[in-house]
Amino acid sequence: MSADTEFRVHHDSDAAVGRRERLGVRLLIVADGSFLFGMIFSYFYLRNLNNNGGWLPKGVHHYSISSAWQVAIPFVIAAISHRLGQENKQTRNLTSIVTFVVLLVGGYLQWKQMAHMPFLLTDDGGVVSFNGAYASNWVLMAGSGLFHYFLGSFIALGILIRNRTTDLPHELDLWRQRVVQSWFTWCAIAAVLTALTLSVI
Amino acid sequence: MANHDDHAVEALPPTPGERATGFIKRNDVARTIGLFVAYTAIFIILGKYFYPKWMPTIMSKEMKSAETIMIWFTYISAPIAGIVLSVATNSFLNAHRGDTPPPDGPAIRTNGPIVVLWTVGSLLFTIVAIVWGLLEVNSQAVAAANDAKSAITVEVTGSQWLWTFNYPAQGIETHDLNLPVGVPVIFDVKSADVNHSFWPVQLGIKVDANAQVTTVIHTTPTMVGAIEVKCAELCGLYHAYMETNGAVMSKTDFNAWVTAQGGHTA
Amino acid sequence: MSTLDKAPASARPVPNPKRSLITRLHMGTGVVVGVIFALAAYYGLHSLYTTYTDKVADPLSSHDNNIVLLGAMLSWSVGFMVGIGAFIGPWRWLIGKDLTDEEILYLAGDGQGTKRYFKYCTDHKVVGIQYLVGVMTMLGVGGTMAMMIRTNLARPGAHFVTPVVYNSLVGLHGITMIIAMIIVATGPFGNYIMPIMIGAYDMAFPRLNALSWWVLFTAIPVLCSAWFLGGIPTGWTAYAPLSTQAGPGMNSFIATIIIFAVSTAVAGMNITTTVVAMRTKGMKWNRVPIFVIGATISVALAIPAFPTFMLAMVQTGLDRTFNTGFFDANMGGSGWLYANLFWIMGHPEVYVILIPGVAALMEIAPVFVRKPLFSYNAAILGFAGIAGLSVLVWAHHMYLAGWAPSLNGPFMVTTEMISIPTGLLFLVLIGTIWRGKPWLKLPMLSVFAFIWDFLIGGITGIYLSDVPADNYLHGSMFVTAHFHFTLMGAALTGAIGGLAYWYPKMTGRMLNERAGYISFWLVQIGFNVLFFGMFMAGAEGQPRRVIDYAAFYKNSNLVSTIGAYSVGIGMIVLLWAVIHSWNKGKVAPMNPWGAKTLEWTVPYPVPLTNFDELPIITSDPYGYGKGK
Repeated sequence: MSADTEFRVHHDSDAAVGRRERLGVRLLIVADGSFLFGMIFSYFYLRNLNNNGGWLPKGVHHYSISSAWQVAIPFVIAAISHRLGQENKQTRNLTSIVTFVVLLVGGYLQWKQMAHMPFLLTDDGGVVSFNGAYASNWVLMAGSGLFHYFLGSFIALGILIRNRTTDLPHELDLWRQRVVQSWFTWCAIAAVLTALTLSVI
Repeated sequence: MANHDDHAVEALPPTPGERATGFIKRNDVARTIGLFVAYTAIFIILGKYFYPKWMPTIMSKEMKSAETIMIWFTYISAPIAGIVLSVATNSFLNAHRGDTPPPDGPAIRTNGPIVVLWTVGSLLFTIVAIVWGLLEVNSQAVAAANDAKSAITVEVTGSQWLWTFNYPAQGIETHDLNLPVGVPVIFDVKSADVNHSFWPVQLGIKVDANAQVTTVIHTTPTMVGAIEVKCAELCGLYHAYMETNGAVMSKTDFNAWVTAQGGHTA
Repeated sequence: MSTLDKAPASARPVPNPKRSLITRLHMGTGVVVGVIFALAAYYGLHSLYTTYTDKVADPLSSHDNNIVLLGAMLSWSVGFMVGIGAFIGPWRWLIGKDLTDEEILYLAGDGQGTKRYFKYCTDHKVVGIQYLVGVMTMLGVGGTMAMMIRTNLARPGAHFVTPVVYNSLVGLHGITMIIAMIIVATGPFGNYIMPIMIGAYDMAFPRLNALSWWVLFTAIPVLCSAWFLGGIPTGWTAYAPLSTQAGPGMNSFIATIIIFAVSTAVAGMNITTTVVAMRTKGMKWNRVPIFVIGATISVALAIPAFPTFMLAMVQTGLDRTFNTGFFDANMGGSGWLYANLFWIMGHPEVYVILIPGVAALMEIAPVFVRKPLFSYNAAILGFAGIAGLSVLVWAHHMYLAGWAPSLNGPFMVTTEMISIPTGLLFLVLIGTIWRGKPWLKLPMLSVFAFIWDFLIGGITGIYLSDVPADNYLHGSMFVTAHFHFTLMGAALTGAIGGLAYWYPKMTGRMLNERAGYISFWLVQIGFNVLFFGMFMAGAEGQPRRVIDYAAFYKNSNLVSTIGAYSVGIGMIVLLWAVIHSWNKGKVAPMNPWGAKTLEWTVPYPVPLTNFDELPIITSDPYGYGKGK
């Protein structure tokens, strides 16, 4: 970090930087979408195959449809709340708190469901296993949902803090909000798709 | 090389016939055509002799069709390979050596008709390959359906690292695969553990053995002789040794063998 | 993110580097923190899980051990990234204190000499060199394994290694080479050369660029750990249920793929964004160098492809650790699910490997025959057609799996359609060299080698795409020979051509020519002998991945092994040439080949910001030839 460097940081226009970041996030959404597609494929593939009646073996409890939506709704609310605060720094003082809190609640609900799974099987040796292919798919989707909530909470917390401490030029700030919006909208869609999938038991 | 572009300065444009003759008489074109003929011939010869020489005895219709396809696909690929390789070789023979870049060549950006012709050609080639393949798949499926009644059934179980053959109608279980000649046979294949792949080599068929699921293949041995059965899917430590012998035998021999094994003949 | 540009020296406030955390982190701190994380996860998970699952008789294959190992491996990767400072940026974003210009400049490695190669350096040229060294290391390791395999197969009887070692060799050779081949062109050249080619100061996301390399770096010790945990018994395809029942070495494989998938997604997104959004003024889509197009299509294809492999590995990991049943037929699972997910990635992946190699050769050919690239549009159509079709052909790997015999027909149709765009690639190359006088330097030789190798790979691919022929050939050595002809004969040949071509720009010196030629002929002749022998073995009926074979196959296997040694010696010569020329080679002029792409307009060493002023483009870079 010497003083006599001949280089300096080049700041492209806010719109150029913003568009670039949005494209990057959209490409990551493609990757994440492919992962989600794979999970949904696994779910329906094993459901239709029902190998040896092992999709839901007799006597195995499954989560209700409403509980699937219980963990999807918070993300939808968070995405809407973020959208409301997107254009206006003043509104965002409130909505960023709402977004963050809702995402924490959603993450908590997801965690709570994972802590009380009804389809675990414990054998004589004390080894716990998942009973049936539904159970396997459920825990994978729940884990993926939890990851989304974790990442979402991190971003929401960042927005919350930054809205109060930093003073970005309006244009760049707006673009960053849009980039986050792309991600939140995608996560909400993913949550709804997951809930839809889990509604077909 | 340089004189080809000088046509433009001639007073009268050449007729198509003159252009075609001129084109063919060009040194590089003539050499390319010669090379094309040679390469095409080499590939045809390769197709004709390589696979029959190296592939094992053909003991079923499926094996025959596998080999025929490999030979004939080599034949129809030969002209394409001939074009590509003759152009490449011709260019290679024109090589420029030294430490400075060669003089610029003609600025050919593209050639619409050639691109279209090439695409149509490869499309035709693809259609031939697809239609051939689909007809063959279909005829094998039809044969399997027609033969279902007269076929004998062999239940094949792959386990680490052993093949077991169960003949339910004959009531015997062995580790050698013996089959009567000329009688359709249906293999019901499954696995006791991990994935295997059932491959009676000389019969030219293959199917994976999966746990808890039965997969089915069909063939009709057409010739008496020894066969080898191998595993074609990596299945752990002794995958290489998961092989056994067998034979296609005359019906009398087969019945004698079944009886000797303590089974009953139909 | 911001990029850098050149500015006259000016008086700026200098932050005190001693006080800044950024200046203190490097590879060493990464390793230390990574090891701490791994040990913490190891002992933490161990105490947690042994308390509620009883100790099982064989602790190495028990599930709690898989949890412990997998957890430790993934924690190592995260810990390393923490220790090298990858999360400083996100953290500073979170608390609202974005990196200052001075810090960004420091991260770019400004004025740090060779130290920057061991830091979280955001300069794309540093990342390119890191990738180059990484790829050469992987090729060396994977190649050594190949030599051991061939040595063992030189004659029947499995004299050289035990079955456990042999299967591990097969699996590790496979996955090492696949990873190396995926990054062999897009890693070094895509990072070092491509931003200069499109006239950009840097990549779109310089910090993510560093992330993609260092994440990949963390996968290397994880993969190596497989050796000490009993190896990988499954081959690189890691089919379930063999993989779910495998020993603890399998955890290394799973962790490697998960880490690698993250790296690829980040790198793919970064390269694609750079090309789409950061081309210099005047570089319209029809003026972009073909290598850039090819590399972009390749990484863009990787973005949706690799997550399904990651998913398949996550599921394998869950089956092994938490006793789920994705692939366990007793629990309603199915090995076919794995095969589907794997090949949905697996077939696009071979084109992810192939396309950048071919594109590099298409970049090379016009320069060395001094003619324009023949039908630029056909080249793009070829790449795009291959990429588009590649996502529709995965089940041709499963013709004989019994999964869905009725789908064999449709998959045969899509598979054989790939001949059409592939044919266009040949047309572009032979159209370019037609009527030219090729300058037979090493890069141009690679073009000719590619034409031959890929032609053989292509024709044998047509047999394999046809179900009745595949009935016989599937799972035999014929398949092995076929995909080595395409992946090694095409992609590796392309990458070696690219290395010879761009070496002067990346190192400032010319690659030793004599050694280059010797290596080229040893490798190419050896390669053809090697896999011609393997075609014979396959046609004779020898299965893949066998440690031993009947005496019947001994001639073809001996031929293969002789060829393999020639390839091995040739590659060692090449390695020597690369290392030797890097220090002692002839100093290269700015534009040794007389090429017209932008990377040849910048001096060596390439300045931190590549260009003083971004160039303005008025034509494509193929304006060679008379009579324009």
